Amino acid sequence: MHTNDRGQCLPFTPRYSVTICLRAGLIRAVLFSLIWWVLVDGAMASWPVGVPVVLLTTIVSMALLPPFSWSLIGIIRIVPFFLWHSLCAAVDVARRAFHPGLPISPGLYYYQWHLPPGLPQIFMANMVSLLPGTLSAELADEYLCVHVLDQTGAFTSDLSILEEYVAQLFALNLTVDRSKKI
Amino acid sequence: MLLSEFLTSVLLLAGAFFFLAGTVGLLRFPDVYTRLHALTKADNVGLGLMVLGLALQAESWAVAGKLLLIWLLVLLSSASVAHLIAKAARQKGIEPWKQ
Repeated sequence: MHTNDRGQCLPFTPRYSVTICLRAGLIRAVLFSLIWWVLVDGAMASWPVGVPVVLLTTIVSMALLPPFSWSLIGIIRIVPFFLWHSLCAAVDVARRAFHPGLPISPGLYYYQWHLPPGLPQIFMANMVSLLPGTLSAELADEYLCVHVLDQTGAFTSDLSILEEYVAQLFALNLTVDRSKKI
Repeated sequence: MLLSEFLTSVLLLAGAFFFLAGTVGLLRFPDVYTRLHALTKADNVGLGLMVLGLALQAESWAVAGKLLLIWLLVLLSSASVAHLIAKAARQKGIEPWKQ
C-alpha cells in the first residue's frame, strides 16, 4: 500500500512505483552525464563539479517531469520518420518560396486529438510545426488547431500517421479511443 | 580526409540554400502564419545540414555531440516559439491570409 509522509493512503499509481522512479532516475542521470561530458569536451578534471550537477539535475527533472511511459522501438521508429519528413518539409517550403506563382492556399484545420493531454500532445504539437505544410496554432485538450500551407494536400492522413508514431513513442494504444470517436 | 571535406562543403552549401529559402519565404509569404512555416521548416533543416557538415570535421565525439545538442535545442525552441507566435496571432484575431 502506498502512503504519504502523514500515513494517508494514496491512490494506486503504477507508473510512480519505486522501481519505476529508480529506473527513470538512473536513465536520466546517464543522459545528463552524457550531456555534461559533451559540454566539457570529455575533461576528466571536471567531474568533481559534474557529479553533483548531474545529481541535482536528475532530482529537479524528476520533480518537474515525473516518469512517463515510453518505448525504445518507438524512438527508433520516429527518428528516421522525423528526419525524412522534416527534410521533405524544407524542400516543400523552399519550392513554394522560390516559385514565381507562390503556390500556397493556406487555411485553418481543427484536428481532434486521439492522444491524451500532457506531454504526448505537447510533443506532437511541436512535431507538427516541423513537418510538411502544417503549423500548430492552438493547443487545446480536445483539438489541435493546425494552420496548413496548402489545403489541397493530404495533411489529415499525415497528422493521423504522425499521431500513431507519437503514440508508439509514449507506449500508448490509440485504437480504443479511435473506435470511440467514430 | 578529402572526401569528408568535400561532403562538408556540400552540406554547408545545402544548409545555406535552405536558410536562403527560409528568408525568401519570410519576405514573399503574405501573412504571419505562412511566414512561420517558411522559417521553422527551412531553417531547422538548414541548421541540421550545417551541423552535420561541421560534425564531419569535429576532432572528437564530444564536439560532434555538442553540435547535435545545439541542433536539438534549436529544434525545440523554434517549434515552441513558432507555436507561441501563431497562438498570439490567433488570440489577437489575425485571420489567415486567403487567396
